[in-house]
Amino acid sequence: MASWPEHPRLIGTRIPRVDGMAKASGRAKYPSDVRPEGMLFGVMLYSPHAHAKITSIDTTAAEKMPGVKAVEVIAKAGATLRYQGDDIAAVAAETEEQARDAIAAIKVVYEVLPHVVTEAASMADGAPKIVNTGNVRKGRAITKGNVNDAFKKADATIEGTYSAPVITHVCLETHGLTAKWDDKDHITAYASTQAVGPTAAELAGTFNIPFTNVTVLTEVMGGGFGSKFGADLWGRTAAQLAQKAGAPVKMFLDRVQEHLAAGNRPSASGTVKMGATKDGRLVAMEAHTHGTGGVRGGAGFPLPYVYDVPAASRTHDDVMVNCGGARAMRAPGHPQGCILMEAAMDDLAEKLGMDPIDFRIKNLAPNDFHTPIYLGELAIGAEAIGWKENRKPRGQGGKGPIKKGFGVALHQWGGGGTQDKQVTCIINPDGSVELKSGTQDIGTGARTILAVIAAEILGLEVGQIKSNIGNSTFPTGQPSGGSTTSPSMAPPCYSAVTAARDALFAKVAPALGVQPADLDVKGGKVLVKGEPKLTWAEACRKLGTMPISELGKFQPGLASGGVGGCQFAEVEVDVETGVVRVKKIVAVQDSGLILDLLTWESQVYGGVIGGLNYGLFEERIMDPTTGVMLNADMEMYKLAGASDIPEIIVKAYDPPEQKARGVIGVGEPPTISTAAAIGNAVSNAIGVRVPVWPMSPRNVLNALAAAATEGKA
Amino acid sequence: MADLDTKPRPGASRRDFLRGSGLAAASAVISGPARAALDEAAAEAREAQDAVPVLSGQVKITLKVNGQERHTTVEPRSTLLDTLRHRLDVTGPKRVCDRGSCGACTTLVDGAPVYSCTTLAVSCQGKTIETLESFDTGPEGVPHAFHQNDGLMCGYCTPGFVTACKALLDRNPHPTLEEVKQGLNGNICRCGTYVGVLKAALAAAKSMKGA
Ligand code: FES
Ligand code: FES
Repeated sequence: MASWPEHPRLIGTRIPRVDGMAKASGRAKYPSDVRPEGMLFGVMLYSPHAHAKITSIDTTAAEKMPGVKAVEVIAKAGATLRYQGDDIAAVAAETEEQARDAIAAIKVVYEVLPHVVTEAASMADGAPKIVNTGNVRKGRAITKGNVNDAFKKADATIEGTYSAPVITHVCLETHGLTAKWDDKDHITAYASTQAVGPTAAELAGTFNIPFTNVTVLTEVMGGGFGSKFGADLWGRTAAQLAQKAGAPVKMFLDRVQEHLAAGNRPSASGTVKMGATKDGRLVAMEAHTHGTGGVRGGAGFPLPYVYDVPAASRTHDDVMVNCGGARAMRAPGHPQGCILMEAAMDDLAEKLGMDPIDFRIKNLAPNDFHTPIYLGELAIGAEAIGWKENRKPRGQGGKGPIKKGFGVALHQWGGGGTQDKQVTCIINPDGSVELKSGTQDIGTGARTILAVIAAEILGLEVGQIKSNIGNSTFPTGQPSGGSTTSPSMAPPCYSAVTAARDALFAKVAPALGVQPADLDVKGGKVLVKGEPKLTWAEACRKLGTMPISELGKFQPGLASGGVGGCQFAEVEVDVETGVVRVKKIVAVQDSGLILDLLTWESQVYGGVIGGLNYGLFEERIMDPTTGVMLNADMEMYKLAGASDIPEIIVKAYDPPEQKARGVIGVGEPPTISTAAAIGNAVSNAIGVRVPVWPMSPRNVLNALAAAATEGKA
Repeated sequence: MADLDTKPRPGASRRDFLRGSGLAAASAVISGPARAALDEAAAEAREAQDAVPVLSGQVKITLKVNGQERHTTVEPRSTLLDTLRHRLDVTGPKRVCDRGSCGACTTLVDGAPVYSCTTLAVSCQGKTIETLESFDTGPEGVPHAFHQNDGLMCGYCTPGFVTACKALLDRNPHPTLEEVKQGLNGNICRCGTYVGVLKAALAAAKSMKGA
């Protein structure tokens, strides 16, 4: 079994990302920045209606407009449009202004059909059927133990209804690519994607050309969060337009269609009944949940979550609405499951009169590998937020209108790597070192960690390694999803670099009259039996004209999967205005061996801020009457700005036994529990459960008003 | 959410706003001291109408971008952002919301930060246009501070933050953390890099001071 160096020089330290200066100086060329010679601008026409049939579509006028080089109809007469933002046609023209004019000149006659854009409307009696099989798709019911009997053992039972809204990915670089035909059956695509290989395969399949004839390039890209795993219809259309026009075509969605059609995180709602004995042991849960992933389904989420519930029964309905389809979004399903579970846990702890942390600890599964991790993390987090000194029981948040509260939530994520990915390491006679792999960096720092590994093993500086990724023609790399990139790519990188180093030793040893085993590298020098003998460059020169090129594959012992994690929130709630201010968040996260602490921390901060957005601001607002999204922009679709950022304390949980697990990804786990912790802190502050996320003034005031009516507050 | 009043309002004086919102409607409800400003604005608008030819079709313009005179052809409706990106291959500023709410397109015009997505290219003739590609990349520059403090992840919002930060430090070389936040409130990052961004801005202020 391979293992990472015991006393690393670089691994685990703070290393600025290798492409950081290119990005910070505006020099990095994103797919949406690339402009091949003669490039045309593509624009999409998309549905203004939530549900409609195309009666007729006429592009004659558009085709004759100045600058227009190609028009492509996607939805022909008779086609059904299933949501606002559904694709209809596309135009390529010399300028973007001309392409937009041409789009406006396409004459479409619609037969508007009845729509449903909210779950309530979709599930209502007599709702228009928007899917042949019915608007509600029943998920697989879960039953564990005898729930009815188990509830009889409960000393306290709560029943709560909780919900979280649909949110959209809001990738700052919208979905799209620039397609350029190199000849009639070779294409190059500059794509904003999380997966260069699958994107190339999709284009190859669309045009029925060999995979090897397609080159997908993603040097850098502007965010994906789970929504960018292929060329998509827009990308395929760009390639079609490029073929028709005989010129490269750039096609990136506008902000409105990005919100409408490029993916979203499904909503989650449900009634959760949960009971426990008076010493705080859970006995049973019964949950009926639903959610919507738009026209596509896929609104499932884990529940029960994290805790050991001896008896549970759960039903789940996927509700179809006339909205764009869901896509994976940063820890798919988990933030929703975490909200429902952790809200119920807090409400039950309250009913039992127990401290929420004690109650949680009592219900961790005894033989689960997460349990010792959670115990360690909860101790660190409680200390950092000052739980013992500062937290008061629910509803004792202060006398004035501003109430203070504290909340906690736990999460987990599987992650882990694949074992079939590859990296090539090339050592050139001039001493330069290059890594090649068909993975990509979506902002996580994937490019940098590969360079860190190589520099560590070769005794060089990180800046001496060229980490060449984002090219589908390179050895197969991992798509950036599921927090799998690092654990998939680190082992083959280790293998490739180690093999290349050993090959170099084999070449150099005879020239020095020693055995390869006598050689080592350190501080840019080649050592013989511990003594520096040659500089790195001198050693490489002995390669003559032949570079070393080694392909690395998976080796066991270097990576793992499965993490826990917990987060704490401190909030202030103004009960007169309903405004919630998050004062502090503590995130404690395990993820095995950390390769680059600086980019690791950024990932955790980013996850927390994503969770803060989900907890406080974000929500796709659909108008039931017109069927359109009311906030398909970046003003009314609220996202945190600099002044909304609280103090955030990030703590790595990495005792030696965690480091020994090897590399595990961290992109997703830290975004899971933030919103749940914030919601729990709000309830702790105001003494009333706010059952609807986000914790917006409206939802907070509604909860206070409801409680007042019931005489609770 | 971010306090809207603290966002930079590129080039939008109150008088411009009144002009944009339609003088007649505004006059109908405004009286007193505001009247004088309105009258003045109306007179100016009439003058402007007489002086400036109506632009249409393709317009040849010259823009001074990062110290170079650049010639190109635009339409009157072409934004400064699209002109930079699509016609002049200056792709540092990014198009994200395309309507003045995210800051990714921030560009310095005569030293002031503007949202180039809501600024017309034809209105920028004769002005000095600077994008972050022209900033000092050495250890005292703002880009270096962003790099060292990891004030970026995917990096698509970064040009806007770097430019807004530079504009802030040009105006206020010794900002407090609170002032930095205010200065950057017109920018949005989806990856959630604010912690690194704020550190970077303070670090940049420090190294510039040392210079
Ligand atoms: S692109 Fe100009 S403010 Fe968003
Ligand atoms: S770094 Fe990706 S949006 Fe800010």
